[in-house]
Amino acid sequence: MFFKQVRRNAAKNRKGNGLFFGSLVIAIVAFYTLLSLGAQDVMRYLATVESDAVGKLMGLLPVVYAVSLFFVFFLVYFACKYQADSRRREFGLYLMLGMKRNRLFSMLFFETLWSSGVSLLIGLPVALFLTEGISLTTAKMAGLGIIGHHFSLSYDAILWTVCGFVLVQLLSMLIICMRLGKTETAEFFGSGDVKRQASISGAKSTACFVAGVGLLLTAYYLGMFRLGALQMEVMLALIVCGILGTFLLYRGLGGFLGLYIRRKSPDTAGLWNFTARQVQENVISQHKSLAVSSLLLLMALACISYGISMGIGRSASSRSLDFSVFGAEEQIDAVLEKDGVRQMVKDSYPLYLSVVGDGYFRDEEKAFDTAKLEEALRTVEGSENIIENLHIEYVIAESSYNRILKNMGKEELKLADDETAIYTSIANDGDFGTILTKAIRQKTSVGIDDVQYRVRPALCMDNVVADRAITLYMALIVPDELFARLAREPGAYCRNVNLSDEAVDEMGLMQAVQKVDAQLAAAGIEYDSYLSGIGRNLFYTVAASYLTIYLGILFWLIANTVIGLKYLISQRQTKHRYETLTMLGADMPSICRSVRKQIGIYFVLVLASALVSSFAAIFTMFTSFTKLPVGVSVSTVIILSAAALFVFCAVEVLYIGIVKRAASREVSQIEITRRR
Amino acid sequence: MNMQNQILQVESLTKTYGKGQNKTEALKGITFDVWEGEFLGIMGASGSGKTTLLNCIATMLKPTSGKIILRGQDISGFHGRKLADYRGNEIGYLFQEFELLDNLTARENIALPLCLHGVTAGKAKADIETLADLLDIADVLDKFPSQMSGGQKQRVAAARALISDPDIVLADEPTGALDSKNSKTLMNKLSAINGEQNKTIMMVTHDANAASYCSRILFIQDGCIFHELRRNRQTESIEAFYDRIVVVMAQLGGGSANVL
Repeated sequence: MFFKQVRRNAAKNRKGNGLFFGSLVIAIVAFYTLLSLGAQDVMRYLATVESDAVGKLMGLLPVVYAVSLFFVFFLVYFACKYQADSRRREFGLYLMLGMKRNRLFSMLFFETLWSSGVSLLIGLPVALFLTEGISLTTAKMAGLGIIGHHFSLSYDAILWTVCGFVLVQLLSMLIICMRLGKTETAEFFGSGDVKRQASISGAKSTACFVAGVGLLLTAYYLGMFRLGALQMEVMLALIVCGILGTFLLYRGLGGFLGLYIRRKSPDTAGLWNFTARQVQENVISQHKSLAVSSLLLLMALACISYGISMGIGRSASSRSLDFSVFGAEEQIDAVLEKDGVRQMVKDSYPLYLSVVGDGYFRDEEKAFDTAKLEEALRTVEGSENIIENLHIEYVIAESSYNRILKNMGKEELKLADDETAIYTSIANDGDFGTILTKAIRQKTSVGIDDVQYRVRPALCMDNVVADRAITLYMALIVPDELFARLAREPGAYCRNVNLSDEAVDEMGLMQAVQKVDAQLAAAGIEYDSYLSGIGRNLFYTVAASYLTIYLGILFWLIANTVIGLKYLISQRQTKHRYETLTMLGADMPSICRSVRKQIGIYFVLVLASALVSSFAAIFTMFTSFTKLPVGVSVSTVIILSAAALFVFCAVEVLYIGIVKRAASREVSQIEITRRR
Repeated sequence: MNMQNQILQVESLTKTYGKGQNKTEALKGITFDVWEGEFLGIMGASGSGKTTLLNCIATMLKPTSGKIILRGQDISGFHGRKLADYRGNEIGYLFQEFELLDNLTARENIALPLCLHGVTAGKAKADIETLADLLDIADVLDKFPSQMSGGQKQRVAAARALISDPDIVLADEPTGALDSKNSKTLMNKLSAINGEQNKTIMMVTHDANAASYCSRILFIQDGCIFHELRRNRQTESIEAFYDRIVVVMAQLGGGSANVL
């Protein structure tokens, strides 16, 4: 009998409350997505080439898991509280019929466990489907093409998901039961605690509102104009101002709305006054939740835009070649000509790269006459450091670099006899690339052997060797004859190999590289591969984008659920008001319109502050501590951000629509019950 | 009271709850008229059907059969807009538990029925203030219900019931949640409004004290009208009428043989 009732109640909860059940499923998906990170294709590959970095990330996962657990707890708690509040009368009835409180609570616990089981049965397959999708998308985003995809099922992840979810559910239920335990039986038959609307001192709330706006503006100012060097004290002041400002803003907003309503209400008709007072009441009684939700939404927006830009930034460094092989020509040829390898190789060519001969050094570090270049640099803001360290020690033969460009499908250089091009592999290192580009656009030159060579007004930055760990601060790309004259070692530095597109398309880049990798390793030849070179790079892509986007979406979901459920809970507590309105002659369509308007305004109040703050936060992020890589155009980021914002707004509208429908449905039932 | 004008006619009204064997007849064909300017009381024991009767007239319940005619219109068939207009304009309802919206000030609560029908609170300002003076609530107009006493709340609710100048005010145990002092104040005010403004009031009550302010009382038992008392305001004092009510109530407890 007892368990039959538990099962029936749990089923009724699920059917009657999609929002509650949806929140539970979201919690499961959130846990599994995070915990199965290690089982994803990209991470599995990375673990073979960058085990240290991956190990560090995996070490970080428990912390992120704990953070998620903390936030998901709120999600589940509000969902359960909403559910429990709607069943108060039922609980009261059980108690009046002689059920012991202990038995009532154990019934609730078993119901929770039963619901957990059903949620897991639905949530886990959804999560699995989602992680598989993410696995494929991340691999594509990281520039790996279609890799050999394996179905990944992480038993550890499932175990921890189940543990985390059940723990969070039981903890929420425990807190709710403790509150119910302190409730008098008669109170179960009321509609719950409604914080009564008291008149708030206008001066106090205005002061809070003004102080909140002031602190937020201070935070924006600090972020946009004073955070250049990422000083800790500015950062701390910014965070304190931002958080305190948001809380004070919402603390004062209720009083502010009250003043507005009082001024406006004599001229309004219909349910305007009621709608406005409902919103004001919710703002006053839930100003803390509103502030927290707004901050969560801000964090969500910041995390998602950071994640997306990191993703674009890293994947923008395109693949210029697949292997750099060192060793004797014959030995290399022997491997490359092997059956099975030969068909996979599109091109192989020697790379001519060398330190400049001793005779060309003007002092210990500096070869060539860079006076004109320094002069051009001086006109660019922020170039002091670069001028101080400016040195060119390397030269690259034009033909080698052209071959790289050709293989990438780019236009070749075609240098004139008196022309040279500047190469650097660290263009994305802070402002280096941007400043250097600005300088060489001013028709500057470099002196070699007392002859001034014009510098091509575009910076060359495609990788000349497969291993990204080898960096070239600055080198000159010069015509081949000049290279032969300048180079200390005029022979080939290494042999670069590009794999054929067909092989990559057919096998996936990862497998194609691994196959050639194995052959080279077997022949005992020293080599670097693109994939091992980008291992770390890829790692950052995955780690930064994945984790930040994950946290962003999690914050977003929680903020929305908190706002939605908080509203629905308060609506349920004030249900009698809608009954009164009906009795006073309000028709159902206008009551439903009022409810929808209340929800719209309520969400907009939270979203508006989050959106304004997020514009400031994103601006701060990209001006202060996250530089867009040189290869990424601002317009791409703006288009992607606009697309992301559009998706954000679309999802918000959809979610608000769901809450509106739930609220309208509940209100429209009032008439039916009263007019049986 | 104008005995020429019937404001409300209730004809053979029945209300049945449940079906088959669970059928309960709450009203068994009640017929009576309410005259314009009358202060009518409905009394009866718990379960006698008095609240069902009031709720049928207030359109909170749909009668099973019979007619309720207010100023010549049968209200039992009202739906949608017409129903909302009826509730907002033609009846004023006074609840036992006041049912003020606790997030609206007294002024906003009073103006609500008018606002619902397109009148702004600004336009109703003068009417609100007149009613507030009449009911002695002028000093709480800008306060929220949580800042008022029970008596003030019920008087604000009365102002709300009267603001749209309804044809009839329906009151369901209006003194049920008040102490005797506040009950007396409220009944004095209602009685004054009835007498001075010729406002028709129909009140369901258990309280003989409250009922003694009425001009006529219908006693209901088991879904039927069982007895009727009339008071001549000019010749009979409230106290004397109270004594007669108490006698009928005592006899009601003993069954119909004692009364008829």
